Amino acid sequence: MIPSKKRKPWIKRLLVGGALLLVVLGGIYWYVATETFSDTSDRKPVYEVEAISFIQEFVTNGQAANLKYTEKIVAVSGIISATEAADTTINIKMTDTTTGSYIIFAFQDQHLDDAKTLKAGDKVSIKGACSGGIHSDILGYYSISFKRSALNK
Amino acid sequence: MKKYIFTLVIALAAITAFAQKKTTTSAIVTFDATTSIDNLPKAENRTVIAALDASTGIVQFEAAMKNFAFSNPTIQEHFNQSKWMNSDAFPKASFTGKITNLSAVNFKADGTYNVNVEGVLNIRGQDGKVSTPATIVVKGSAISATATFSIKLADYGIEGGAINAGKVSKEPNITVAVDLN
Repeated sequence: MIPSKKRKPWIKRLLVGGALLLVVLGGIYWYVATETFSDTSDRKPVYEVEAISFIQEFVTNGQAANLKYTEKIVAVSGIISATEAADTTINIKMTDTTTGSYIIFAFQDQHLDDAKTLKAGDKVSIKGACSGGIHSDILGYYSISFKRSALNK
Repeated sequence: MKKYIFTLVIALAAITAFAQKKTTTSAIVTFDATTSIDNLPKAENRTVIAALDASTGIVQFEAAMKNFAFSNPTIQEHFNQSKWMNSDAFPKASFTGKITNLSAVNFKADGTYNVNVEGVLNIRGQDGKVSTPATIVVKGSAISATATFSIKLADYGIEGGAINAGKVSKEPNITVAVDLN
């Protein structure tokens, strides 16, 4: 009878450890690759602000306002100054008429139908991911933009 | 009397010039750097500021970098990081150019017109020349325009492992769609 070769125990442990590591790394990769942004209507706003004073914060000190609000979920209350069609979507604007500076909300796809019911003059609260403000050389005033917005019901 | 007429003429000239410059704050720019092995690096910005001066053919765009919306949070974070767009230091991209064959467009007549646009695209604080065909559609007082072109990321100092690994295109496509009323 020929004796069977015995694998050394450390090789077995190495193989099992390597396989586990691969499973964990694969899981992390899968999680990162398939992760998507959550529905903004389910998110609690970090800040709740009034449109005109919010715009004034950017006009007065853009750097500080950008640090404070950018990439945060912010709920903004105010009066709609305009709705702007953008291809098949619609953007909602709130404007400070004294400076021309404005906030513009691009809506999350699942909330576009809500946005299409809005019109200039409506008083609303909208929350979204604040993308910060830029001073427009074209317009000569501040533009503060939001992405993935939803009505704050 | 002459003074009043002169003032009136100046005012009318200013109004006419203003009327020929159309703007919007809702132009759409898409950035598509997907490859055969990664379909995630793709984003859309729906709040781009755009202007077209019909009398001179000058075209301008400004896009807030952080308003490019990706489906994937990690990719969006990478896009704005210092190695990539460095959006904290350079919060906007801009384009200033001109329709080089302006005579091919009649802004007073409905129709579809093929034009060429040349200009300078500034991303991450660096200028790059862009030349692209574009389509302009005139319908009444409304003007819409579309263009698709590609840029070389290396021209704007954007490099990285993901590009070398083929997960991000070296030459992403940029699509612009604008409605001016």
